[in-house]
Amino acid sequence: MKSHTPKSEVAEVEASKAHGPRRFVSRRNGLFTVAGLSLLLAGCGDRHLSTMDPESPIAEKLDTFLVWLLVAAGVVFVLVQGAILYMAKRFRVKAPEDESQVYPDEEFPDQVHGNTRLEIGWTILPTVIMAVIAFFTLGLLFELDDVSANDDRQIQEVVVVGQQWWWEFQYHLDDDGVPDIVTANELVLPVGEEIRLRVTSRDVIHSFWVPTLNGKRDAVPGRYNPWTIEAGNAGRFPGECTEFCGLSHAYMEKFAVGIPLDEWQEWAATQQLAAALPEEGTSEFAGWEVFNNQCASCHVINGLTSHYEDGSIDDFALYSNLRVGESGLDAVLDQPPVRYIEKQTQVSGAAPNLTHLQSRSTFAGGIFELYKNPDSENYIDLASEGTLNRGALEAWIVNAPEVKANAWDSPSGQRGMTPFTALSAEDVDNLVEFLTNMTYAEGNE
Amino acid sequence: MAITEDRPLALEAGTVTKVAERPLGALTRPQSDVGWASWFTTVDHKKIGIMYGVGSLFFFLFGGVEALMIRIQLAAPDGQFLSESLYNQVFTMHGVTMVFLVIMPMAAAFANYLLPLQVGARDVAFPRLNAFSFWCWLAGAIFLNTSWFLGGAPAGGWFAYAPNTSVTFAPGSGMDFYAIGLQIVGIASLVSAINLIVTVLNMRAPGMSLLKMPVLTWMLLVTQFLLLFAVPVITIALFLLTFDRSFGANFFNVEQGGSPLLWQHLFWIFGHPEVYILILPAFGIISEVIPTFSRKPIFGYPFMVGSGIAIGFMGWGVWAHHMFASGLGEISVAAFSLSTMFIAVPTGVKILNWLATMWGGRLRFNTPMLFACGVIAMFTIGGLSGVTHAVAPSDTQQTDTYYIVAHFHYVIFGGSLLGMFSGFYFWWPKVFGHKLSEKWGKINFWLMLIGFNMTFGPMHVLGLQGMARRHHSYAKEDGFGFWNGIVSAGAFVIALGTLAFLINIWLSARNAKRNPVEVGPDPWDARSLEWSTASPTPVHNFDVEPTVEFQDDWWHRKWGKNDEGKVVRKAYPEDIAQDGSATDVHLPSPSYWPLVLSLSLPIIGYSIIFTFWLLIPAGALFLAGFLGWALEPADDPEAAHGHDDHGNDDDHDADATADAEVEGASNV
Repeated sequence: MKSHTPKSEVAEVEASKAHGPRRFVSRRNGLFTVAGLSLLLAGCGDRHLSTMDPESPIAEKLDTFLVWLLVAAGVVFVLVQGAILYMAKRFRVKAPEDESQVYPDEEFPDQVHGNTRLEIGWTILPTVIMAVIAFFTLGLLFELDDVSANDDRQIQEVVVVGQQWWWEFQYHLDDDGVPDIVTANELVLPVGEEIRLRVTSRDVIHSFWVPTLNGKRDAVPGRYNPWTIEAGNAGRFPGECTEFCGLSHAYMEKFAVGIPLDEWQEWAATQQLAAALPEEGTSEFAGWEVFNNQCASCHVINGLTSHYEDGSIDDFALYSNLRVGESGLDAVLDQPPVRYIEKQTQVSGAAPNLTHLQSRSTFAGGIFELYKNPDSENYIDLASEGTLNRGALEAWIVNAPEVKANAWDSPSGQRGMTPFTALSAEDVDNLVEFLTNMTYAEGNE
Repeated sequence: MAITEDRPLALEAGTVTKVAERPLGALTRPQSDVGWASWFTTVDHKKIGIMYGVGSLFFFLFGGVEALMIRIQLAAPDGQFLSESLYNQVFTMHGVTMVFLVIMPMAAAFANYLLPLQVGARDVAFPRLNAFSFWCWLAGAIFLNTSWFLGGAPAGGWFAYAPNTSVTFAPGSGMDFYAIGLQIVGIASLVSAINLIVTVLNMRAPGMSLLKMPVLTWMLLVTQFLLLFAVPVITIALFLLTFDRSFGANFFNVEQGGSPLLWQHLFWIFGHPEVYILILPAFGIISEVIPTFSRKPIFGYPFMVGSGIAIGFMGWGVWAHHMFASGLGEISVAAFSLSTMFIAVPTGVKILNWLATMWGGRLRFNTPMLFACGVIAMFTIGGLSGVTHAVAPSDTQQTDTYYIVAHFHYVIFGGSLLGMFSGFYFWWPKVFGHKLSEKWGKINFWLMLIGFNMTFGPMHVLGLQGMARRHHSYAKEDGFGFWNGIVSAGAFVIALGTLAFLINIWLSARNAKRNPVEVGPDPWDARSLEWSTASPTPVHNFDVEPTVEFQDDWWHRKWGKNDEGKVVRKAYPEDIAQDGSATDVHLPSPSYWPLVLSLSLPIIGYSIIFTFWLLIPAGALFLAGFLGWALEPADDPEAAHGHDDHGNDDDHDADATADAEVEGASNV
């Protein structure tokens, strides 16, 4: 698990303060226990980032292809380097020790100017080699482009939206054009199902990449780039943003989480529930009041935020910034999606939907663990079994720009979360209680 | 022993005439060709070449320090050396500096100095334009770097992908400096390209048909054609960016219907030929070095030339391989994947021809040859990893990871830069009259080669392990720490290698001053025309315009074959080379105006960024430079001819605006 060092620790007083990286997750780094060859062939960290350690059929194909290519390249490499070394040994004429001797001497080798047959030969040879590679390349290219028809797919499509500096995933479980589940930074997938993605961006270009599952696809504003992903195995597979996108480019993480189908169905059902108002008098309710005053202009909680009660703006449409038309998914995808119009000063789109924050394993663009024991095999039980990583969460709420660089105060418009240093400790406590003990109104979709 | 050569081997020489003193005025041309001030007004292609070389080495140190800062930051997980913002500026400027302010001007140094010499000319076609190119480049380079002190350097990457470079996402002035600075540097490249193309096409020595030109001249010619067509593309892109940023246009603004991919296409239509602009001069350099140190002619000369031209053409059809992840559609991806693969063919032909040149030769491993072999070995690695990118599906795993960083450094450092170093060691005696030290040269080479492989070899591994580019830090759990440590250590070994080069320059110069050794016109027993004149090159290059009969004509003046087909000496270089003592050689006069004109350009840049009031001084300077240039005598017969009554002027008057009119000595 990634644990970038926050630039300062605001809230977690028990942690060491200024020196040394604080890790919200403590995991042994197996670096020096791994021998040289496996260092080369696979990732050596605990995080599962290596392209040579595939976890899906697609990544497997890519990896196999690359290994064959590297073998072929290795042959050429050895021949060329070998030729240079061999010639350096065999044809070398050393400078004489005695400087008075004529050097270079008057001896000449055969003055060969060329050999047309050889030239033609070694023009044709690489052409043939490249043609063979090209043949298999085109095969692979079109094979990967061909998404298998699957009538009982669980997910019609996931719209992946990159923005500075986090990822939003809008699940379309059916084809009515309205996202059914909206979540951030964690793409939860049923194992073994090839999922169609459409990758886009609300601001600058980002790139969606989960190296163990598939290659990259850029998130370009104004375009919906088709892509596919499949979790071949259960597990949590991290990926970095791979198109340079500004200050926190390194802090824009996402995870593909593969879970078995039955668990996924359970997860999906929960994710579609709207939140219920906490009981008055509880700290959760006090937290809701803070949220409503301070956070609700950017963050949405399905069922609670005023946009929803007002009825004038569809909540999904609001935070996905897609004006939902009558004619389903295609109409949605035709909309110009780039900016969050409702709040003019904020150029980077909506903030993450926090309805189901407690069901996620990370926050702040996937760079901090939400729970201290993320080893839990059971992703969907995180909320009930996990111990909240409260210090980190509070540090983030109180002063986000301190823990992750952003441009909240940019003269050209806000990008990233505002600091809330004026919040009292009690307010922050209540807010965390509210966000992490969310209850849901049964049956409310 | 019969030598089948009946022409006189030695060329004629004469005595020098000094130019007469005469008053200077605003519209007369300066005449001093010695002293520090002469460097500001010179139009001599050799001085300009030297200034390009010094300038590029200076910025090489700059870009190198930027690289070291990046490597300090990434040496260990969670680096705290640079802030996010500063890191972005540093990696952007590292790329911009190394491409536009180091490799390109370094190639221009070789092109300027050597190209007229290799074709047997006395200067380039348009000497004042040549001076303008240099000052323009320097003005642009300094302009770009002043951004550090004027609100922050560009931070959008050297590729500057829209819309991250728009006012919204890059509100400071950094990207303005990028757009305008590169524009100014681009003017330099474009002007220089035209100048050198005309020089090669029009000013070759009698007898030098195109297919008798040295391979370096050929590769430089192809490079200039690439520049001629590629620079206008980036010019347009940069204008669009400037209009977006400074004048509220929306070329790349999605909300208003603009297209971010438009920038990518424009940038890479320039950017990929640019890669060949960076590498072909180095290919040319080692194509001179390898035959010389193998004591054999270049193997397959027509194929070497042809493959260079083929690379030049094919280089235009591969740009979208930089965009395989952008969502181009599979047909486009397939097409660009194929074209990229097949550009490996001419490149492979070149490598095999160099190897064949060495095969069976009598190899001398002096420093230039070591660097040349380094180019073959390292560039091969870069070429092979390039093939893995050409495989588009595989590229989606590699692009924007350190695997790519490894790849292009093997091409640009391992190919271009090592090639340039080979050239430095090779032509140093021709330019400065003394060789660089072999001992320090070898230290320089091995430190650089080892440091280079320590730095960029492990990046292949890091990329495949999933380390993305342009991240200012990585977490310990990522497991990238080990190789990054080695990479950073390697960067410092490269720095030591560079230091060895500088020490070498200094020690060799000091040594040459203390114990002057006559280096002779042709210390390496080389093959092309520049070695047929004195070292350092006399100001007029050639006493007498050389005539050419063979490819590698100079070699054929020294060596011939006897009846048994054995190579035997016909003459010693000292006996047949020109001694540089000719008189009354008409050379173009120096001029103030290229400098004045180019100085106005960065001020126009500042005016776009900060205040339009600056247009007043900028405009004044521009007009002064422009009018001064137009009004000064294109040629100054009084001054330049000295005691020369050189007869038939009529041939040349029609051509007077091309003030490069350098004639053969007519009154020897």
